[in-house]
Amino acid sequence: MPQIILENVTKRFGKFIAVDKLNMVIDDRAFITLLGPSGCGKTTTLRMIAGLETPTEGRILIDGKVMYSSEEGINVPPDKRDVGFLFQNYALWPHMTVNQNIAFGLENLKWNKADIKKRTEELLAMLKIAEFGDRYPSELSGGQQQRVAIARTLATKPKVLFMDEPLSNLDAKLRTEMRTELKRLHKDTDSTFVYVTHDQLEAMTLATKICLMKQGYLQQYAPPLTVYNKPSNIFVADFVGSPSINFVKGTDFMDVCPEAQFTGGGAALSAEKLTLGIRPECIQLTQKDGIDAAVYSTLPSGMETILRLKLTHEKGEQTLTSVVFGDIDFEADTKVHVAFNMDKILLFDTESGNLIPDGKLKI
Amino acid sequence: MSKKMMNNIRTFFSKPANVILVIFLVLLAMLTLYPLVSLVMETCTVHPMEVQMIGRRKGSFTQRHWFKLLCSGEYSMNNFYIPLLNTFLMSIAASIIAITFGGIVAWLVTRSNLKYKKFISFVFVFPYIMPSWTLAMFWVNFFRNPKVGMGITGIFTALTGICMPEWFVYGLFPCSIVLGLHYSPFAYILIGGILRNMDANLEEAATILKASRAKIMGRITLPIVMPALLSTFLLVFASAMSAYAVPVFLGSPVRFWVLTTKMYTMINGNFQGQGYIIAFAMILFGVGILGLNQWFTGRRKSFTTITGKSSQISLVDLRHSRTVISVILVIILCFIAIVPLITFALESVLLMPGDYSIKNLTLDFWIGKGESVRGIGMDAGILRSADVWHTLVNSLRLSIVCSVAAGISGILVGYAVVKRRGSLLSTLVNNLAFFPYLMPSMAFGAIYLSIATKLPLLYGSFFILALIGSVKYLPFASRSGINAMLQLSNEIEEAAVIVGVPWRKRMTKVIIPIQKATFLSGFLLPFISCMRELSLFVLLVTPQNKVLTTMLMQFNEKGYTQYGNAINLMIIVMVLLINFIVNKVTGASIDKGVGGQ
Repeated sequence: MPQIILENVTKRFGKFIAVDKLNMVIDDRAFITLLGPSGCGKTTTLRMIAGLETPTEGRILIDGKVMYSSEEGINVPPDKRDVGFLFQNYALWPHMTVNQNIAFGLENLKWNKADIKKRTEELLAMLKIAEFGDRYPSELSGGQQQRVAIARTLATKPKVLFMDEPLSNLDAKLRTEMRTELKRLHKDTDSTFVYVTHDQLEAMTLATKICLMKQGYLQQYAPPLTVYNKPSNIFVADFVGSPSINFVKGTDFMDVCPEAQFTGGGAALSAEKLTLGIRPECIQLTQKDGIDAAVYSTLPSGMETILRLKLTHEKGEQTLTSVVFGDIDFEADTKVHVAFNMDKILLFDTESGNLIPDGKLKI
Repeated sequence: MSKKMMNNIRTFFSKPANVILVIFLVLLAMLTLYPLVSLVMETCTVHPMEVQMIGRRKGSFTQRHWFKLLCSGEYSMNNFYIPLLNTFLMSIAASIIAITFGGIVAWLVTRSNLKYKKFISFVFVFPYIMPSWTLAMFWVNFFRNPKVGMGITGIFTALTGICMPEWFVYGLFPCSIVLGLHYSPFAYILIGGILRNMDANLEEAATILKASRAKIMGRITLPIVMPALLSTFLLVFASAMSAYAVPVFLGSPVRFWVLTTKMYTMINGNFQGQGYIIAFAMILFGVGILGLNQWFTGRRKSFTTITGKSSQISLVDLRHSRTVISVILVIILCFIAIVPLITFALESVLLMPGDYSIKNLTLDFWIGKGESVRGIGMDAGILRSADVWHTLVNSLRLSIVCSVAAGISGILVGYAVVKRRGSLLSTLVNNLAFFPYLMPSMAFGAIYLSIATKLPLLYGSFFILALIGSVKYLPFASRSGINAMLQLSNEIEEAAVIVGVPWRKRMTKVIIPIQKATFLSGFLLPFISCMRELSLFVLLVTPQNKVLTTMLMQFNEKGYTQYGNAINLMIIVMVLLINFIVNKVTGASIDKGVGGQ
């Protein structure tokens, strides 16, 4: 079954390197998200696998067959790769009705009329748009257009489905709804999904594995919770998670907490070369014990409240973001006490930015 | 060759856009660059007619033409430098008139609460659709008087008894006015498009900051449309420079020479070499203007392209002057767009030109038979003349062939240029496809003539007329094609690629149906331009293979103004009718073709 393998895939636009020596294995029936800030090469990667863009170098295999190889001189055109592609702006053909849009791909595969009709109806029912078959795209709402686009992509039963930020044009509520639908669709269709997004929440919630990229380089390729709990470097830790992770220099932390000790690789580490990564939920408010802090501002949303805390010490002050669950709110400048969940605090090497895998903090 | 390179080449040519670009690069180089080189050669060659004058063998190399035309004192002055100066003065004056008039009307229509907007925007494009000499003929018909030229009385003098002075009737002044009026719709379409697309918020933001209306105009509106104004100015300048018919009508009677008229007489006389030098000089100016235009738009593009679709444009209230301005504008438009048609009809039924009494009216020039018209070299009135019908069919056939050839090429070029936007190849083809626009028609005709005279098969053939027409009008079609493709997101095609739709089907089933109105405009403009074209064909036609416009010119040269007026009316009515029908049936329009909205 289709496994997608990328070997040293590179894409250059003139002097600009969009993707640099990317190596990746996408397992069969996986739901992969390509995540990263805009301009990081994620869309280019997707388009190269689909065959819409030609790589400069490297090798791409789908289902054991070489689709592209700069060395061997192979470049299989997109329509021979048995893939589906869902575009950000849907790219529905405005001069064709919903039915015609869905049927067009099947006509090209020379299906007979009865089968096309059957398949079209099946898809319309599956995506709950049966009553819109004869409408034109301009007569549909954004969410309905999205469903038509999905139906059109699924019509030919592709083994691999590529999606380029398909939900970014929808409003927040509809987006959440479509996310659950897509996840269900992934299970029902039994195919491999590769999904591009710049929304870390979308990537976290949908994927079986996240591929995080920055300026053409792969940063981390791992399941969402691994990316969250063991980010490979400062960039990844910062990109994933909302509210964002707190970064505190080792020496600054010593100012707040003079008795702190750091270990890693079986030895003690000097605070000078460290950066601490503290997730907001690892900073807890305590009744009495703990470090003194003051509330700077609060963002209550009902389910949780995001706090901005100010820790004052002899040499200055340190601000940290924390989150408390439940409908709690504080007046500004309220005095509180905080404690850290030390098991979950991450240590990074400041110079390289990389995670120290077994780094530990002790107070 | 390595496998990798072979693969790169194969991948390159597996994309239809690349194939199209390469084909058009070769084709356009052959059809525009090669003739250019050949023209330069002609400027240094002894032609059959010049053998005696120069005293060398036919075909041998000579610098005499250049020397004679450029550095021979008074001769050079009269035959090159003065026509050159006249051309510049005429073109600059025409551009200023076109921009001012077209720009004011564009602003009034898009940004003010002017009355009768529908009528004004409909009629205002007439002068551009009509042949450029229409207004020139009208001017002569209207203002000629016993004191100037051939001494025939015009309508104005017949009505008022006033004789306008010679400088008013013939020469630089009327040439500039007539060309300016002819190209003002062009300026109107371009400037109007920008104004319509300009986000009204930009002006409203200034209003909020308490800027006066004049200040908004001067500091916000004008600077924003300035790049468009400059580029319109240059395009009108290039067109006015290559105008031939207008200076023939309004300049020749008083020996007012411009480069085009001089070139025509030289090439048709015994001075081919010098004529070709003038053609070359005009092409140089054209290229210079293209360069200037690219420099302006490239440098300033940043703020012409950032235009939003403003939902609510607050119209400027003209207050009490609203009705006055509206009525004056309608009257002016009637005068330049509708009255000329009436005068042509009137002039074509006068037995003796200049006598407007009832008993002097006759329909002989339209439907007369034998006796009454034979005296002036015709077999019958134009509706009964086999020669006229034959020429009409030839004109139509030529226009259809040119518009189909240019239109299809325009779609292909537009597709390929936009698909590969940013690549060197695409930029090259884009510029080559626009190049014929800047090549003055007469000069372009001269080059093709110089090639055709060496190939007897081509000389005087329908093919050479069709070829030159298709190349000359390609810029219109390729502009439409590029516009159409730019409006279409790339993904629309990719969605079809992914489901395995072959390229031809993608074009015919997806891309062309979505943008059919804009693509069709790319057919309409070449058709209309071809129907009314004179200067491009005037050097290339032969008695066996002529078009309506050149026939009209012959009648006028011989002084049979009734026939000339009748044929002119026929061309205009036909062009307006076809434009109207195509517009109503398909939605294609001149505006879309030129780049307006």
